[in-house]
Amino acid sequence: MGCMISKQFKRIPGYEDPTLLASETSFSLNEVEALYELFKKLSHSIFKDGLIHKEEFQLALFRNSTRKNLFADRIFDLFDLKRNGVIEFGEFVRSLSVFHPDTPKSDKINFAFRLYDLRNTGFIEREELKEMVLAILNESDIILSDDMVESIVDKTFQQADSKGDGRIDLDEWKDFASQNPALLKNMTLPYLKDITTAFPSFVMRSEIEDDSL
Amino acid sequence: MPDPFTKANGVALTREQTLSSTNGPAKLLFGKYELGKMVGCGAFAKVYHARQVPTGQSVALKVLSKPRIVKSGMYINVRREIVSMRRIRHPHVVKLIDVMASQSKIYLVLEYIKGGEMFRGISAKGKLNEDSARDLFRQLLSAVAFCHSRGVFHRDLKLENLLLDEFGKLKVSDFGLSALSPTSFSNQTILFKTLCGTPAYVAPEVISRRPYDAAKVDLWACGVILFVLSSGYLPFNDVNLMMLYRKIYKAEYRFPKWISPDLRTLISRMLDSNPETRITVDGIINDPWFRYGLNQNQIDELMQHQPEIEDRILKIDQEEEKRDLNAFDLISLSRGFDLSGLFVSQKAKKERLTSSGTVEEILDKVEEVGRREGFYTLKRKGNEGRGMAVVHGSTGGSLAWVEIFRLNKDIALIEIEKGEVEDEEGEYGHNFWKNKLLPALHGLQTEIEPKTPISPNSPLSVLDGPSSGSGAPDMDDPESDSDLIS
Repeated sequence: MGCMISKQFKRIPGYEDPTLLASETSFSLNEVEALYELFKKLSHSIFKDGLIHKEEFQLALFRNSTRKNLFADRIFDLFDLKRNGVIEFGEFVRSLSVFHPDTPKSDKINFAFRLYDLRNTGFIEREELKEMVLAILNESDIILSDDMVESIVDKTFQQADSKGDGRIDLDEWKDFASQNPALLKNMTLPYLKDITTAFPSFVMRSEIEDDSL
Repeated sequence: MPDPFTKANGVALTREQTLSSTNGPAKLLFGKYELGKMVGCGAFAKVYHARQVPTGQSVALKVLSKPRIVKSGMYINVRREIVSMRRIRHPHVVKLIDVMASQSKIYLVLEYIKGGEMFRGISAKGKLNEDSARDLFRQLLSAVAFCHSRGVFHRDLKLENLLLDEFGKLKVSDFGLSALSPTSFSNQTILFKTLCGTPAYVAPEVISRRPYDAAKVDLWACGVILFVLSSGYLPFNDVNLMMLYRKIYKAEYRFPKWISPDLRTLISRMLDSNPETRITVDGIINDPWFRYGLNQNQIDELMQHQPEIEDRILKIDQEEEKRDLNAFDLISLSRGFDLSGLFVSQKAKKERLTSSGTVEEILDKVEEVGRREGFYTLKRKGNEGRGMAVVHGSTGGSLAWVEIFRLNKDIALIEIEKGEVEDEEGEYGHNFWKNKLLPALHGLQTEIEPKTPISPNSPLSVLDGPSSGSGAPDMDDPESDSDLIS
């Protein structure tokens, strides 16, 4: 069952040895195998080529392949480590590992910083923060007056921009995130703790040799 | 087929083995589980006692043979049952902890119950007095009601699937795993020899091969179990299979003389050969024999188990910080960050709105709307204008979550989310959170006149595509999200 398919999938671009991925990430070998089941599903939802395209990512997140979202775009761009416009299997596993509950907090802090540094300048500028606040309000259908938006952004900058130079650098961000750990809530996905029970299809295809147990 | 466990030491060491053998015993499965002795054996599975290595926690390891599963065409069942089993966490249901696999085997890691099968205990006593039978039956019913409310059915309830732990608490095994349940245990004393491999617990509609309602079939089996607990023998029994079928079909059984009238009434309503008129879970909860000696609060406590709710409240409590929401908190609420959509087909549905109401006013409103529909509400008021509420039904499953955050001294952000038991086929019908709660909270919203409304066409803001007609296929559930996008 599934034997032919399994071989065919192995030739997909960007396939990497699960043993190697397990050794580099917070995942066990079975978990990487379970993630591969998930990856196959996601990467064949529209373009059947074994790569996750932006449209497929949006389809999974929003059930709508054309729905644009600033933050989903940022996540996609950071997952796409090779910056070739698609997410390969190895990129998928390595990036998701950041969201594993067991991954060190420092990795999560760094990832969040890169996420919010919209223009990749090495700083979170005031303008970027305001753009992101407007995007979340718009997404939530919440209307706030411009004054109110300005005051929320100002207040946050007063707390985070400790050097007062109008932009948040990585050190300031590390301090700010350490003082307010709830900020990193979106950097942890509890689902990653039980991917084997969530994607049990891997059990029929597992390649772990019995003798190695 | 050679047994991989006894063979493990006879072959060349692989990387993993080398690792494990330097740290401990060689029979370390997946670097995590130390294998103990076999405790059960059946057509598809062997069950072993095992120990989780870093913690020392005992687990039961059910080992399934892949070739046999493939040959019997059970693969789809295995997959489906693992998925449904993972959703069940209940004090009276044996828990599925983990799933692992190798080339030829599947390993289900289950909660280990130290006591043993219930019928071993019963065989020692013959039968139970009515109070003890009632105590066990209540635990059984609370487990069955919980699983049914989450769409999981046992389909093979019988005394052999009821375990008693070391504290005398009942645990139902193989919930959702009926296709995999071992047909015999190696070291058990069998009380009902005649029942081995016979359909003593099967409902009439299953025998007559009519399409059946799995909930009703489970309740019939509960009736047989209650009969056995209180009388010490099976209600339907015959060496001749056809005779047995006939007795079941006609619901032909006789009570021993010591069974009380109230208990007779309850059992006969469960062993009703017509599934249409057979008693339901709610009927049993309201039955005088079942309720005997309990007030409503105690009944609620028995029936309501809320692992998801407790976990989430704990998490909210831990994460709560005594401050207003800052800009980054706000951003982190975006659906774009919520990668759970990659993992579950039915992503949590949410709506947000703002209100100038106080936390108390919002929480009271939630409770009021819930009460009107006959639901329960758990409320919690936090610090700095925060609060949360969860509306739940009679078995404890959530219908709606409400979280309140303060943006500044005038405005609170309210997040309303669909609960885990609510779906289109759910026991409560349609969308309480969306059709009842959301409009009511919108009613609380007082006018916040924006001085300068933000431009909806800001270049970086969200551009919603059409909710349908994008031409792209949907992942799993074609209707799962259409109402969120609107």
